[in-house]
Amino acid sequence: MNNPKERKILEGIADGDTVVIKAFYKKNYNYIRGYILQNSGEEEDAEDVFQDALVVMYEKLRSDTLDINVSIRTYFYAVCKNIWRSRLRKKKKLIFDNELIEANEESEEYIIEDIEKKEREHVYRKYFLTLSDACKKVLGLVFAGNNMKEIARITGYAEGYARKKKFECKKSLFDKVEKDPMYQELKITSEKEV
Amino acid sequence: MERTQELFEKIEGYLAQTLSKEELLAFEKEIAEDSELKHELEKQRELHQVLRDRDTLDFKEKLQKISAEVKEEQSKSNIYFSYWKIAASIVIILGLGTLLWNNLSKTDSFSDLYASYYTLYPAEDSTRGDTANEWGDVVKNYTKGNYDAVISKLEKTTSLITSEQFRLYLGNSYLNTGKEQEALLQFQMISDTSRYGEAANWYRALTHLKLGDIKKSSEILNKIINYNGIYKEKAMQLKAELKE
Repeated sequence: MNNPKERKILEGIADGDTVVIKAFYKKNYNYIRGYILQNSGEEEDAEDVFQDALVVMYEKLRSDTLDINVSIRTYFYAVCKNIWRSRLRKKKKLIFDNELIEANEESEEYIIEDIEKKEREHVYRKYFLTLSDACKKVLGLVFAGNNMKEIARITGYAEGYARKKKFECKKSLFDKVEKDPMYQELKITSEKEV
Repeated sequence: MERTQELFEKIEGYLAQTLSKEELLAFEKEIAEDSELKHELEKQRELHQVLRDRDTLDFKEKLQKISAEVKEEQSKSNIYFSYWKIAASIVIILGLGTLLWNNLSKTDSFSDLYASYYTLYPAEDSTRGDTANEWGDVVKNYTKGNYDAVISKLEKTTSLITSEQFRLYLGNSYLNTGKEQEALLQFQMISDTSRYGEAANWYRALTHLKLGDIKKSSEILNKIINYNGIYKEKAMQLKAELKE
């Protein structure tokens, strides 16, 4: 990526720079929205796909595994389209409309993202963010590795109540996640790690 | 598997490696024997792994906020834009109105004439080869009057127009959607010597009539009369009416 303008955008995304991201959003959202609405999607799908594709880019930038030799836009559009194709396939709508939504840009061919693997991650994040503030706080502390004593101290809850709260929040998160058709049941392939 | 607080705590203890040696052994044995439990464990492991990454979570949250902001800005600017559109439309309507008034009286009688002579070119059943379905869809849409669907399919997949018959379908679809020039183009592409040539000429004559070009229409009607085919009689009638 030698173009300084493009490099700035990538840096902005990696840093979570609101101004850069907002400009990128405004410039590119309508195209993706149009594509998704034309291909059996709804407004909400367009938003999800757009954001999740940005998340994919963000994670790749941060792990320094983003290797692109096309423009950001080309790359980003390809990621969006791949995500949407994968979701549509799950919605089983693709059967009759196949030719409509095949990859039609050469540059898309090589961008074989590990989209499937990422799909469940998007679902977890999406529903985590819909939880109540109290749930987000407790679960956030759990995921950060705090024990129940610490969590009780930080939140001001009694330890017993904190435990109960943690259970209820996590259960409700799983309930939401599992209701989403995009969430594929996790296959048991990996052996346990001790 | 019923999700209980006890189950969750055992799994969390296992993932955080805080189980005692005995607890760990017992739990591992349980996992080995119970595939549902193992499944639940893997789900929780994945959940923890994904949501432990606070940065990505914050990034996603930021995107949601930005998205909401962009939407709000756009809906605001759309309102302003709509006002301008309404104002501009009024000006255009007023202008066009006076223009049309002068032309309408003349073209009215031609379009009546067109309407009384025009009938949709009838579709034939067609089944052939591996694209039979696509053809079939076009014909089905055509006979059902879904002209937009016919147009978009044939424009997108021009390879389907292997027979001049399809040009007649396409041309008629254009005619029924107010695209006369496009219709003419299709009819013109059908050669006089083709078995569809006479029909193509008939629809060309009608299209010119619809457009108010009587001279062109009459010329083509003469050609049809000379050809002495199935459209001859209709052509003679129409020509006579045009003379009046």
